[in-house]
Amino acid sequence: MQEKMTGKEPLLEIKNIFASTEDLTILKGVDITIQPGEIHAIMGRNGCGKSTLSKIIAGHPAYKINQGSITFKGKNIKSLEPEERAKSGIFLGFQYPIEIPGVSNLEFLRVATNARRKFLKQQELDTFEFEDLVKEKLELVKMDYAFLNRSINQGFSGGEKKRNEILQMALLNPEIAILDETDSGLDIDALRIVASGIKKIANKENGIILITHYQRLLDEIKPDFVHVMANGQIIKTGDCKLALELEKNGYEWTDQLSQDS
Amino acid sequence: MKIIDYITEEKINLSTNLSKIQNFCASKLRETPLPKSQSETWRISNKQKLSSLLEYQYDLNSYQPNIPSYLTSKKAIKINVGNANQFNLKENDWQIKELNTKEINFLIEEKIINNNSEPTWTNLLNHSLVSEENLLGIKISGENIPPLQIFCNSKINHFNAKTLILLIDEKTTVDLLQVNLGDKNSSLSLTTYVWLEKEASLNHGVISLGNGTSNLLNSLDVVQKIGSNYKLSTIQMQYDFARFEVNINQSEGGGHTTIRGMQVSNDNEQIGTYTKVVFNGPKGYLDQLNKSLANDKSHSIFDGSIIVPKNAQKTDAAQLSRNLLLSNTAKIDTKPQLEIIADDVKCKHGATITQLNEDELFYMRSRGLTFAEASKLQLKSYYKEIIDSIPVLEEGLELLNHLIN
Amino acid sequence: MINENLVSNVVTEPYKYGFVTDIETEKISKGLNEEIIRLISRKKDEPEYLLNFRLKAFKKWQKMEEPNWADLGYKKIDYQDIIYYSAPKQKEKKSSLDEVDPKLLETFDKLGIPLTEQKRLTNVAVDAVFDSVSIATTYKEQLAEHGVIFCSISEAVKEHSALIEKYLGSVVPASDNYFAALNSAVFSDGSFVYIPKGVECPMDLSSYFRINSGDSGQFERTLIIAEESSTVSYLEGCTAPMFDTNTLHAAVVELIALDNASIKYSTVQNWYAGNENGVGGIFNFVTKRGKCLGKKSKISWSQVETGSAITWKYPSCILLGEESIGEFYSVALTNNLQQADTGTKMIHIGAKTKSTIVSKGISAGKSSNSYRGLVKMGSKATGSRNYSQCDSMLIGDQASANTFPYIQSQQPNSEVEHEASTCRISEDQLFYLQSRGIEFEEAVSMMVSGFCRDVFNQLPMEFAAEADKLLALKLEGSVG
Ligand SMILES: Nc1ncnc2c1ncn2[C@@H]1O[C@H](COP(=O)(O)OP(=O)(O)O)[C@@H](O)[C@H]1O
Ligand SMILES: [Mg+2]
Repeated sequence: MQEKMTGKEPLLEIKNIFASTEDLTILKGVDITIQPGEIHAIMGRNGCGKSTLSKIIAGHPAYKINQGSITFKGKNIKSLEPEERAKSGIFLGFQYPIEIPGVSNLEFLRVATNARRKFLKQQELDTFEFEDLVKEKLELVKMDYAFLNRSINQGFSGGEKKRNEILQMALLNPEIAILDETDSGLDIDALRIVASGIKKIANKENGIILITHYQRLLDEIKPDFVHVMANGQIIKTGDCKLALELEKNGYEWTDQLSQDS
Repeated sequence: MKIIDYITEEKINLSTNLSKIQNFCASKLRETPLPKSQSETWRISNKQKLSSLLEYQYDLNSYQPNIPSYLTSKKAIKINVGNANQFNLKENDWQIKELNTKEINFLIEEKIINNNSEPTWTNLLNHSLVSEENLLGIKISGENIPPLQIFCNSKINHFNAKTLILLIDEKTTVDLLQVNLGDKNSSLSLTTYVWLEKEASLNHGVISLGNGTSNLLNSLDVVQKIGSNYKLSTIQMQYDFARFEVNINQSEGGGHTTIRGMQVSNDNEQIGTYTKVVFNGPKGYLDQLNKSLANDKSHSIFDGSIIVPKNAQKTDAAQLSRNLLLSNTAKIDTKPQLEIIADDVKCKHGATITQLNEDELFYMRSRGLTFAEASKLQLKSYYKEIIDSIPVLEEGLELLNHLIN
Repeated sequence: MINENLVSNVVTEPYKYGFVTDIETEKISKGLNEEIIRLISRKKDEPEYLLNFRLKAFKKWQKMEEPNWADLGYKKIDYQDIIYYSAPKQKEKKSSLDEVDPKLLETFDKLGIPLTEQKRLTNVAVDAVFDSVSIATTYKEQLAEHGVIFCSISEAVKEHSALIEKYLGSVVPASDNYFAALNSAVFSDGSFVYIPKGVECPMDLSSYFRINSGDSGQFERTLIIAEESSTVSYLEGCTAPMFDTNTLHAAVVELIALDNASIKYSTVQNWYAGNENGVGGIFNFVTKRGKCLGKKSKISWSQVETGSAITWKYPSCILLGEESIGEFYSVALTNNLQQADTGTKMIHIGAKTKSTIVSKGISAGKSSNSYRGLVKMGSKATGSRNYSQCDSMLIGDQASANTFPYIQSQQPNSEVEHEASTCRISEDQLFYLQSRGIEFEEAVSMMVSGFCRDVFNQLPMEFAAEADKLLALKLEGSVG
């Protein structure tokens, strides 16, 4: 705690990460350090490895980390199961939230919320208490309670899936939230809802990583740092002006950089 | 049953070069002259029709059939099974070479004698009658191979048997249309073996057109090596009794198989298709559609199994059986089967039995078409999907019109 | 990569009902012959027609061959090595529960089916069958007020003989199949239900079958008759102790629904399945069939099959009455060396009949799980519909899942639609749940029950608690 207040210990530290699938190396030495209270944006062409980076932070079993370390609040999390990472406060908002037929959204949210609360040594919520909490959070993402009676993400529209992700984030109260293209495919209203949801949870102690292609989200939530990724590496880091530049000139000019590096 | 008696009473002239196989099969046939009645795939076969198709006189000789224009292709190389003239077609970049008897013996023995599984009754019958005169074995290799047409037929009041062996060499791509014709009151037994080597590709059409009172016992056995591509498109109709047994073995997995089949039964006919696709290695792919249409008092059967053993992880197989039952007195049996042990697979099958789509019919009729016209249009589209995928065929539209009328 | 061991741990849970009740039983000698059948009939003081029914069935059975077409390789059963009648020693069938041997009451208590008035389940009437006999039926008087008859089949033979004579064997004739013939010859007890015209049965009825002795077979017989415009929901539960021998269970269930009547029959089957090496366990060869005799009648089967070494069971509907409805909802979970071959037959005979089939098979371990079904549209079934959906989930690469639907139609003005798919628990779905903090085991069991949701929704509320508990045991490991 003490350390954190002084801001000396980074919240999340990714050091020289190499990651691969069975037959393909995707990340080729990524470094990012996030201090409490910071908002980072990661941009880059499709296929450059952004989602892979976010999934290895959350512990996806399909990827192998060949080199480097991921440290969360001073602890190497490489050997932690995905649920252990989640409980300790790492949240990933998926680019493509998965549909799980038959599994009730409400039950899922309650079990997940209680797992996190248990970890935080907060009292677990019974069905009624949870209902109150979830109703309050639903307000935040302007979702109807009826969604909760459906199966997880099943038959949800693109926008509804993304709002369901934000709802989960609001319930789980993470310390580091990675939002992978949560803004893609949203109309203007939905984008506002998502942005305000993110703002609500952003505070001095949390870190946020926004993976996005669009300036319009960054207009709502101003990042402290903008990283440009290409071919599995971070090739440039700057402030929010870098995002504007990308918006104006596209990714093409970064090709030069990636060749140089 | 003339034919069975003919075989089992040892009246056959053993062909000198294939006598081992012939003997083997004939002796097995002596044990089981007819398919075992408990056998699941023969259970609903019309036994009476089966025995009457065996009543014809055996005839080794063939004659050049009269091929209707809608079944011929101008560009294709045309081969008749049973012409018994040795040939070796050779161009700069490709070759179609006839197999010698040693090779043929070896290949059939591998299938029938040195195989763990029991040979099928259909093949036993066929090989009991096999000889150099009614067999064709070819090996195809090279590039830019011209389209091929292979013809088989049965002669009025006779029982004919033909055997075809095709070896497709590595990385060789072939378009082949097999045309089987039947005279009135005749039976054809046809066994085809196909070996697709690594990355070979065969676009295989099989059109079997009888004459209403013709009969057909058609067995097709395909072995696919890794990376090979096999596409089968078939139509069978106008037989009093027709039975098409298709056995596909992706012997190493990693093959690509597409099947588009269609069968039409009229009058009192019984037409059946029995397919079995086995994946003996990982990452195989199958997309199968079988359509059947039953009119009058006919009986249409589809029996399709997909077998995915433990070593066939990441298999992706789909099978759909679509059936149109168009008469109160017709009957359709469909039996899709999945047998799966590997866990990381995507397999599904579906089956429907319906009539022509009422809403579509109504829509067309509300635009002024008569019921008959509207039905015909619908039927055309039902056929067309299959006909369109048949290779080599140049006059698909004419064939379609012939089939519909 | 999913850790297969972990997954199989989740579905491997020790059998909780494996205890044996130490009670003095009356058994007849092993073996099967005409004399044994006469003896059983005599013990039950049966009328002549029933003895004849048995003897005729026995003659047929002797001429029949044991089926081997099902996908089940099992050791040959020695039918002379089975005891065909075994009953806990007590004087007469008790008129009051107070007279029932406390050990038996205790047994059912332990199984979660208390029978005594103070403790009995509210809203569910229970007929408790122990080995070959029914030992008690609760709420009989309350049901009688509505004209509902719920009693053991032995009692029905004595008191409602006309109904038995009329309907017994009318849906499943003795000659139907090998095991039905065997059952018809030797059946010992079971439940009888009669719902009179216009009555909606005021509570769910339930039979609980307990096999206690290791060397006797259980051959119970259930008969349910729903008169015009009546409704009933019937639940069936089963357990058995752990023996290292196989015990044969060959039951016959017959349902009859008249005009506008509706029968819902739900089963949770948790017979002992044998150990992880396939030693012991129940051979469960059951013939269940309902006849929708009346117009707009409806028969609905739902089953959760988790137990038995071998299950061979195809609850079926014969849709005779115009606009009658047949339904089949099934979950079958197999593990270790269990084999399940289950499915349904929907025989559409009447016009405008409808049927729905939803089957979910989960195979783990080295087990084998097959769906085998028949949908038949007869030539008079104009305007009829069937929809079937059969999904399999495979856990681990040693288990097998087979689907053998068989569809036959002779009626152009009818529609049949069948869909089947196979899947496994997807890594991405697991990861999604885990990344929200849900433990691996819980995530697996959430997804397995999600996979079965369509069927679980069909279970009656009263039963749901019991069924849930059982599934939790099998599926959710220590988490549930
Ligand atoms: N599980 C996987 N298996 C195989 N290839 C993958 C897998 N995940 C990602 N890839 C490949 O890695 C590259 C990076 O993917 P991704 O991280 O999704 O990129 P981004 O999110 O930046 O668009 C792409 O070429 C993608 O196809
Ligand atoms: Mg991405």
